[in-house]
Amino acid sequence: MPVAPRPGEALPPARALPPASLDRQPWGAIIAFLLPAFTIYIALTAYPVFRTLWNSFHKVLPRNEAYVGLDNYAALVQDEIFWRSVQNTFIWACASPLAEVSIALLLALALYAKIPGRRFFRIAWFTPVLMSYVVVGIVWVWIYNYDWGAANAILRALGLERWVQAWIGDPRIALPSLIFITTWMWTGFNMVVLLAALHALPSEVIEAAELDNCGWGAKLLHIIIPMVKPTLLNLLVLSFIGKMKIFDLVWITTKGGPLWSTETVSTYTYKRAFEWNTFDLGYPSTIAAVWFVFVLVAVLGLTWAFRQRDRLEY
Amino acid sequence: MATVALKALTKRYPGSDLLAVDAVDLDIAHGEFMVLLGPSGCGKSTTLRMIAGLESIGSGELTIDGKRVNDIPAKDRDIAMVFQSYALYPHMTVFDNLAFGLRRRSVSASEIRDRVRDVAATLGLAELLKRKPHALSGGQRQRVALGRAIVRDPKVFLFDEPLSNLDAALRVGMRGELIKLHHRLGVTMIYVTHDQVEAMTMGDRICIMNGGKVVQIGAPLDVYREPADMFVAAFLGSPPANLLTGRFNGSGLEVGDMRLPVARRDSADEVIFAIRPEDIRIDGSAPHAQGEVLAVEPLGAETIVRFRLPGVASDVLVRGPRTVAAKVGERVPVVFDLDAAHLFDPVTTRRIL
Amino acid sequence: MIPKAFLFVVVIVYTAFAAGPFVWVATMSLRTTSEITQDHYAWPETLHWEKFPQAWFNSNYSVYFENSLLVVVSAVAVLTVVGAMAAHCFARYRFRVNRILYFIIFSAIIFPPQITIIALFQILVQYGLYNSLVGLTLVYIAVQLPLTVYILESFFARIPADLFDAARIDGYPEWQIFWKVSLPIALPAIATTIILNTILLWNEFLYAVVLITDEAKRTLPLGIQRFMGDQLEDVGMIATGLMIAIIPVVLIYVFFSEKLIQGMTAGAVK
Repeated sequence: MPVAPRPGEALPPARALPPASLDRQPWGAIIAFLLPAFTIYIALTAYPVFRTLWNSFHKVLPRNEAYVGLDNYAALVQDEIFWRSVQNTFIWACASPLAEVSIALLLALALYAKIPGRRFFRIAWFTPVLMSYVVVGIVWVWIYNYDWGAANAILRALGLERWVQAWIGDPRIALPSLIFITTWMWTGFNMVVLLAALHALPSEVIEAAELDNCGWGAKLLHIIIPMVKPTLLNLLVLSFIGKMKIFDLVWITTKGGPLWSTETVSTYTYKRAFEWNTFDLGYPSTIAAVWFVFVLVAVLGLTWAFRQRDRLEY
Repeated sequence: MATVALKALTKRYPGSDLLAVDAVDLDIAHGEFMVLLGPSGCGKSTTLRMIAGLESIGSGELTIDGKRVNDIPAKDRDIAMVFQSYALYPHMTVFDNLAFGLRRRSVSASEIRDRVRDVAATLGLAELLKRKPHALSGGQRQRVALGRAIVRDPKVFLFDEPLSNLDAALRVGMRGELIKLHHRLGVTMIYVTHDQVEAMTMGDRICIMNGGKVVQIGAPLDVYREPADMFVAAFLGSPPANLLTGRFNGSGLEVGDMRLPVARRDSADEVIFAIRPEDIRIDGSAPHAQGEVLAVEPLGAETIVRFRLPGVASDVLVRGPRTVAAKVGERVPVVFDLDAAHLFDPVTTRRIL
Repeated sequence: MIPKAFLFVVVIVYTAFAAGPFVWVATMSLRTTSEITQDHYAWPETLHWEKFPQAWFNSNYSVYFENSLLVVVSAVAVLTVVGAMAAHCFARYRFRVNRILYFIIFSAIIFPPQITIIALFQILVQYGLYNSLVGLTLVYIAVQLPLTVYILESFFARIPADLFDAARIDGYPEWQIFWKVSLPIALPAIATTIILNTILLWNEFLYAVVLITDEAKRTLPLGIQRFMGDQLEDVGMIATGLMIAIIPVVLIYVFFSEKLIQGMTAGAVK
């Protein structure tokens, strides 16, 4: 019998493992590829963040910066307008996602039922998000016009005269009126996403449910919603983040009024930094810093609450 | 043409305790067709990628034509590689795919055109030069991938499971073409596969790997007939060799209730008795045992019969002629060709006979 | 099962709700304010196309338009190249700090704008870039960079690694692999980010309102706001002004609706 070579045995059997070989990477190329992006990021995102944090401990007047310790933070705690704006923003950021996503889901299901002209509807519904908040704001100021706006015109036509009101002029309903605008804007977007998610579902599962003689409601609750849950949660978070930033729409329509009823943190920061003639950039930086923490905590909290405990397999 | 030598080539991926490639020694001669064969995860692809220069070498030495190339980047090693996924550039035409490698190597435009045309003609791609990869069939893509390597006229060809994405019929055809190509070009080729048929039919020599180590190197039939250890015996052959536990008792070997006239070796009492399915016959003259037929699988050219032998725990497979007339449940006489059988040490798994 | 006809009605009603405001503005943009005052919801009887040149010339629209075009085109051009380079690097190379660096850039997507905007104001003033289109362009690049890297990275990561290995064996250095392999293959994703960034920046208001005050430097959204302030009661004229601002977006949308929807929804689909 010929003896086969046994290369392994030429070496002592128990060898120490060689040091972990890190793959030699072309570091020159990696640095070259990342350098422009990080230069921009550091100069115009990271550095401004730190400078804002630094500002928040100072009184920042043109050519005169003085350390004030936690004074700004102490003042912020007492600042009723700030807390009002926080409250408004949170109401907005919590109400909007629920309204947008639930309406969008129902409409997406309606469209999922193979209605003719689906492509056209998809494109039409998506249109509002493409418009700038400036354009949308102006149009809705008109729609909410007391005398000739579409909202009141429709109510009058329906004989509901007593519901006619100054939609964005009345502190009690100004905020809901603005929330209605963002819902109008973003529902279509959410619907298009959900439609894509629904179409990505394996049709066998839905057909199987049909064979199981599931009612429409049961099918929705027990089959469709659990299967598109990752997308739903994603949309909720996305909508939440967007509303936490909201500025343009308020600025064009109400500037935070009447009586702070639509003041958001963004508009208040802007006012304190660039509108009120206090010239101090320290205090608005404190607002920004505190809000930054709020947003981070809220987003991390949501991500944690919505984390997928067990990934669905289908 | 080139020789390729691997000396104690070792690779460990960061974050892993296991060696992906463990001290591989391999000498590949001028113009040899060397096949690296093994199950997935055995380190054969990593070895190939180290030869290509796509993975860094942990330790050991790699030489091409006697020159150490450990630290020479892939582009300067003068090798070409055919990938399992073909890796055709999807945004380029077939012509550009073939020419892409030449354009970096200061070859004149007219020469590029001539060489691409030549290669395309030999591979039957002449009509497809203007197409993009997505408009090609699997077999055509495979040819383009091959052509991209040929056109470069490299010192060494590397193949990483190039046929495994083809359907069975095409694979047989391409196998033949690769063998012809190797004869025509006479270039050193290193071919990674997990398919033993490819390895047996194409390789001048086969290097069988398992767990990052080389288990055996040899000509296809030598490796098949004289497996160095139980792994090779069980990995090669379809169906593979029967591995039965045996025990020396007195002058013979006991396998189940059978007593086989095998001379005792100086090793332990317990051994593994290995015999290939074709080395067992169903024959009434001087049978070693009576087997109970469990299943009969006629394959057309041959018939695989599954037996239970008295006192043997695992089933035994026999490759018989297509005329085998066994029926399930029958008891038939069985003869072992003991000259072709092997014994393995059950602890070290190495062959002792 | 809910009858299809009912579903169809729901869909039609919602569509009217979603598109109605735009149709309304479009009709008003072609009617004079006195016509509009008589009936805000009448269909235009005579199409007053002349209002478009009027709106364009009576205001600084040509300046706003030009500024927006300049800022958006240069910001998007730089964003595409810089973002693609970073995304290629994150998707292609396995190096120790890869995921950390990627997360640092990616996490900026959730930053509220206030956290940078006051300091950006200070910085731009300091470097003489306040009230300049260059300054605004730089800020826009920084603002859109995280999203761009995110969308492109997820696309680049799906390009099979074998292609890069093949190009390395074919003898190409890293930069050329990016230029000749990565970029052309990623063209669909690149187009998506270009269109997406164009629309988002075309509509951008907050950074512009903070960083630009000079009339001659206003971008379109600032211009519209200004125009609205000037015309106040001239609803017809403002409607025409709005249409002028909407039309480029609508044109892009008509030609690239699929790409745009892909881009806008890229982050949401799981």
